[in-house]
Amino acid sequence: MNGKLGPKPFDSTRIIRLIGGLLFAYLFLGFMLLPCLDTLTSIFSTKDASGKTDPFAVIRFFLAGNMGKYVLNSLKLAVLLVLTVNIIGISIVLLTEYFDIKGARILRLGYMTTMIYSGVALVTGYMFLYAGDGILTTALKDAFPEFSPKWFSGFNAVLFTMTFACTSNHMLFLRNAIRGIDYNTVEAARNMGASPFKVLFKVVFPTLLPTLFSLTVMVFITGLCAMSAPTLLGYDSINPEIVRLAGSSSADEAFPQARAALLSIILAAFTIVLLTVLSRYERKGHYLSVSKTKAKLQKQKITNPVANVLAHIYAYILFIIYMTPVVMIVVFSFRSWESVKSRSLSNGGWTLLNYFGTQDYQYQASSGKMKVREGAITGVFSNKDTLGGIQTSFLLSVIAAALACVIVVIACNYIFKHKGKKRGTALEYALLFPWLLPTILICYSYRIFFNSNDVWYVFGQNLYYEDRVRILIIIAYMVVKLPFSLRMIKASFYAIDEELEDAAKNLGAGPLKTFIRVKLPIILPSVLAVFALNFNALFTEYDMSATFNSAHGRTYAMIIQSMVQDEGMSYTNLNASGRRCASTVFIMIVSGLILYLVYGVGARDLSERLVSREKRKRIAAKLKGVFRKGETGA
Amino acid sequence: MIQLKDIVVRFGDFTALHNINVQVNEGEFFTFLGPSGCGKTTTLRTLTGFISPAEGRVFVRGKDITDVPIEKRNIGIVFQSYALFPTMTVYDNIAFGLKIKKLKKPELDQKVRTIAKKVDLSDEQLAKAVSQLSGGQQQRVAIARALVTEPDIICLDEPLSNLDAKLRVQLREELKKMQREFGITSIYVTHDQEEALTLSDRIAVFNKGVIEQIGTPNDIYNHSATEFVCNFIGDINRLSGPVVQMLIDSGASLDPNWHHYIRLERVHVNETVRPGAVAIPGKVVSREYYGLYIKYYIDLGSQTIKVMERNDGVHIYDPGETVRANIDPADLMSYEPAGEEAQP
Repeated sequence: MNGKLGPKPFDSTRIIRLIGGLLFAYLFLGFMLLPCLDTLTSIFSTKDASGKTDPFAVIRFFLAGNMGKYVLNSLKLAVLLVLTVNIIGISIVLLTEYFDIKGARILRLGYMTTMIYSGVALVTGYMFLYAGDGILTTALKDAFPEFSPKWFSGFNAVLFTMTFACTSNHMLFLRNAIRGIDYNTVEAARNMGASPFKVLFKVVFPTLLPTLFSLTVMVFITGLCAMSAPTLLGYDSINPEIVRLAGSSSADEAFPQARAALLSIILAAFTIVLLTVLSRYERKGHYLSVSKTKAKLQKQKITNPVANVLAHIYAYILFIIYMTPVVMIVVFSFRSWESVKSRSLSNGGWTLLNYFGTQDYQYQASSGKMKVREGAITGVFSNKDTLGGIQTSFLLSVIAAALACVIVVIACNYIFKHKGKKRGTALEYALLFPWLLPTILICYSYRIFFNSNDVWYVFGQNLYYEDRVRILIIIAYMVVKLPFSLRMIKASFYAIDEELEDAAKNLGAGPLKTFIRVKLPIILPSVLAVFALNFNALFTEYDMSATFNSAHGRTYAMIIQSMVQDEGMSYTNLNASGRRCASTVFIMIVSGLILYLVYGVGARDLSERLVSREKRKRIAAKLKGVFRKGETGA
Repeated sequence: MIQLKDIVVRFGDFTALHNINVQVNEGEFFTFLGPSGCGKTTTLRTLTGFISPAEGRVFVRGKDITDVPIEKRNIGIVFQSYALFPTMTVYDNIAFGLKIKKLKKPELDQKVRTIAKKVDLSDEQLAKAVSQLSGGQQQRVAIARALVTEPDIICLDEPLSNLDAKLRVQLREELKKMQREFGITSIYVTHDQEEALTLSDRIAVFNKGVIEQIGTPNDIYNHSATEFVCNFIGDINRLSGPVVQMLIDSGASLDPNWHHYIRLERVHVNETVRPGAVAIPGKVVSREYYGLYIKYYIDLGSQTIKVMERNDGVHIYDPGETVRANIDPADLMSYEPAGEEAQP
């Protein structure tokens, strides 16, 4: 025997590992590799009019310039988004963390609002303000009759909305990076005669560059893969076109599936190249502070009075842009149907109807008679469709988020036990695989590949058929969330001191008991945090929902979308705008609660929990005392 | 009590332990001492069962435990990091091993509280999270957890290395006191020679996977068996050729081709020359003040030697002052050079 103790040839641990290995192989081959390979090969399996296979037909179609606009539009959006998001993102971080701006705390809260509502909820929120029938547009139209109500649509609207939607990562990561700067380096530069702006550009920015580079790549990929904003605001980019083509048939247009597949693969190629560049850059390492006595960054006063005033004006304009949709949505979510419909606070009154309860709808029929449709105006939680969407999304998201966490926890345990060995590394790469592929490619591949009775390893069941689409959505949700879960949960495994396992073993605990009693409690806060963040992202997820959209797989995001699209048509979707506002508020509350639980409650360790338990006990004892005194007094 | 017989451990092509033979007596405080990577922890892990030897056997009280699983060896371990479970209270940490053994609650509770009392942990501290305790208190929890299951042996793997210097000295004394109280056979791993000398009944000095010497602290310090041990333990002067020649010229029977060493405190400054000792003239280069002692650097012409003198408050020499360094050849430790090493 050499070195470490090894398992016996046929013990129970080996059998469990073998079963686990087979399940992972099934997941990787069956739900990551094969469907995507099928998409890749479908590009080259197009047939001409005579039924003969013409492998390069779609490539010729692409080169002839028939699809290029989608790629170019996406690239244009991605490039400009990098510029605008970085300008706004860096501005808001500097204004709240680096420069001494009055009211920075309030400003920070405003800039962080995109963390509690994003995606389709944010886009519809902006539309509520700026779209043709939006509050601002209505007001402008009333003031200036010449004003075009369609000003907020197409590329500019998408760029504007996504610019403010995508600064959340700057508020998270760039903020942390700037707070990590050693203030002594700033003082040293000042001491050597550098002006405040020279310090900013020569000392502060260089240390932020690695973070900025990562953020830039992330923004570029987000722009390239944009879905909800282009769909709702009307911009021809890759993702909405893939979804459109996936739902089309060859009777309507030339080889739609192959074209969708080609666009997906182009997107994947861009993503892979960008992620490779990013990981190469990350491998070079970040600038780490070498200081042993790091000083906390102190805010810099802008000494030039004109610059100071301009900085304050700029900060508050941004604050207004961030906050206006939030405030308007919250306010209008409590306004009556008449008020919401007219986008005016002067009509109607305050109500909870957008959340709960129903109201009759009175209208004049073509005969001139007044008619009543009972209970036609409904709130979020009294509308059957909306409630159904919430329930579906809740269920699918909870299951998928939990499955992703369970799989990753088991995998991480294995990876850490086989650190530096090929099988551990192979498993890790397999779970990171979906990160290389755009979500839309995975979902499109699923929709096409599993929309058949010929896939033997799912027992010949068509997973896109009726209720089974929900299984497909769960698998897609789970697979897409594996890389993020792995990165986060793996980091928490590093917190487990290897000696803890040895200690448990020495005290007589077997591998399962050691895992449940020692390791799991340590990683549990992180696992629960990842679960909550996964759930948060999936609950209002739009891209996948749009790809799998069907009568049986209608998620909350699709319901929210329908609140925009169907509003006012034939009086069938009455109070959709009211429900949309209430829905957005509901999403903000859910997201805010989850972020509080993750970063507030969940981040507490045992000692902090014991201290707060003590505090609670003391308060309870005090209350008891007061209560008893009251009783005796009485 | 413990016997490690002809132990060889290999990691792939690398042999970490070469034929290790150690015998530890019942109730003894035995230390594995050596620099990083010398094999001391590997030997400990072989004894505790985390590593299986390629060759050799491990015996405890005459019973071969080489193939006995870790949890059945009845050996308590105090880890370098203490390895206290951060999600459990102090009480639950100590009770962990007893819960695994499925002890009934009253008995478990009684055992936990008894051991906690013995290691000076209060009931209030038992209810705390381990992160709420100081380094010294955490060490006591680790010891209590290792002892509560009543092991035959306790192994301590560099338990003081994470602590600051002052606390290390304080806990060293407590550790020795506790070991005496419990009377348990203890194996202690450290790279700190001062720790080893103050705590141990006997010490095994490791180097490159072999044991260079096993002996009492006095044997190890004053009669180092090998040049490595002599150099590793304490501070020492290796005498240069001209100084050795001066000693030989004064009648000392020394081989000029060997390496000759003298401990700092064995050289005396300006003292009346003892019979057999040689007074070598020199000049004080610098001095370091330690309070109880003063360390002098004295230039003897061919080399500068270090001398540790007791601070009597009267005989204090200034840099530049001419002094005599008295060296008794009987205090030298001499070693034949290994291989074809050139003489300094």
